[in-house]
Amino acid sequence: MNGPEGPGPRMTLTDEELVTRSVGGDADSFNQLILRWERPIYALAYRVIGREEDARDVCQDTFLRAYRALPGFKGQAKFSSWLYRIALNLCRDWMRRQRRAPVMQMPEGVDPIEMAAEREPAESIETLVARRELSAVVEEAMALLPEEQRTAIILKEYHGMTFQEIADLQGCPLSTVKTRLYQGLSVLRRHLEENAQLKNARLKKGRTEPQLVKRV
Amino acid sequence: MTLIYECGNQEALIGYLYYECEPAERAAVAAHLAICPHCAAEAEAFRATRGSLAAWTPPEAQLGFRIVSDAVPDHVIRPARWWRQPLPAWAQAAAAVLIFGVGAGLGALRGSAGNATPATAALSVTAPAGPAAISAQDLSALEARLRSEMQQLRPVAATTSHETAAPVAGPSLDQVRALIAESEQRQQRELAVRTAEVIRDFDTQRRGDLARIEQTFGRMEGTTGAQVEQQRQLLNYLMRVSQRQPQ
Repeated sequence: MNGPEGPGPRMTLTDEELVTRSVGGDADSFNQLILRWERPIYALAYRVIGREEDARDVCQDTFLRAYRALPGFKGQAKFSSWLYRIALNLCRDWMRRQRRAPVMQMPEGVDPIEMAAEREPAESIETLVARRELSAVVEEAMALLPEEQRTAIILKEYHGMTFQEIADLQGCPLSTVKTRLYQGLSVLRRHLEENAQLKNARLKKGRTEPQLVKRV
Repeated sequence: MTLIYECGNQEALIGYLYYECEPAERAAVAAHLAICPHCAAEAEAFRATRGSLAAWTPPEAQLGFRIVSDAVPDHVIRPARWWRQPLPAWAQAAAAVLIFGVGAGLGALRGSAGNATPATAALSVTAPAGPAAISAQDLSALEARLRSEMQQLRPVAATTSHETAAPVAGPSLDQVRALIAESEQRQQRELAVRTAEVIRDFDTQRRGDLARIEQTFGRMEGTTGAQVEQQRQLLNYLMRVSQRQPQ
């Protein structure tokens, strides 16, 4: 389940070894597990619920609950799967409390300070702007999906889980996971295509406006 | 056995796209895509959509959570038990004053309550300063006076007074001592209960104060965060405006 945002290769001990040490009272071992998994868990929470601060809280609660429940963790599943399950349950609780769809944090325009901070040396400012715009469009499109489809796509695309792992986490048959992925991708595809058409139309309109001004 | 893919088989197409299907099934889907423009276009559109999804990155967040306790894993942040935490100097001083006051009050209460019972009323006559001031000599004097009074009242039985008075006087002295001891124990118990109540009230008040201080700090932090956000938005606005001016 090591997706693009999974743990780095420098860690020497496995999750299970660190869990064993943590159960024995070694808090540093659990802190290593936190260091290893806090970014993926935060990313999962953010993409599911769409709020930065709440995602951070969910992330913290996930590790808090995991630490408290550690003596009861018998290794029947992978530690990461167990952690993801806790995080998803907390996300579900959060959404139930909010009783609404995930809230978008749409940036108003482009933030030059943030862009300068995260800009890679080889990336031009135009590329960065395009990436930020696309990120916002994808976020908007994901918010349109029902919770099950959105979660399935997040787990597959951003956490590299197998169909079976997603089915286990979502508690549904393998075929349901595939159907959710297909339907979710269809909605995303439609939204992204519509957005691209709108953008093209705006560009064309922008090109024609100066000529109209000249005529006036 | 040769698998045949049919248009609209969603599960097979998803398995093909994510490389999670049997080789035979994959070959069947690939063969169909090669001859069906509609399905080929759909598969290509899904690939492009998946490519766009990679652009969505969550905002950077300050994480760095840590477990700060190395004891039994039931708390992430384990505060010291309240009764183990040292009280501040002002609380200790206030508690001492209160305990002294309660003790003094109990002493006064004991003095006034003593007049209400006949047993201690007799003691107050001979020893107005309280039970602690009674000495063996006082008790002996009291005994002698009582005996002489009894002899005056019963002159007939004077010859046998020595044999009968001793058993009578013995129990009365023991009773007095027992009453004194019982009274002292009762007062000590009462003092201990009052002291415990005072300490408990103090601790309740202290914890309430700490909670209020924490809430106040939380509000201050929230206000500071909001101000930082406002400044950030203002700065962004100024930068955007400054970038627009050359055009």
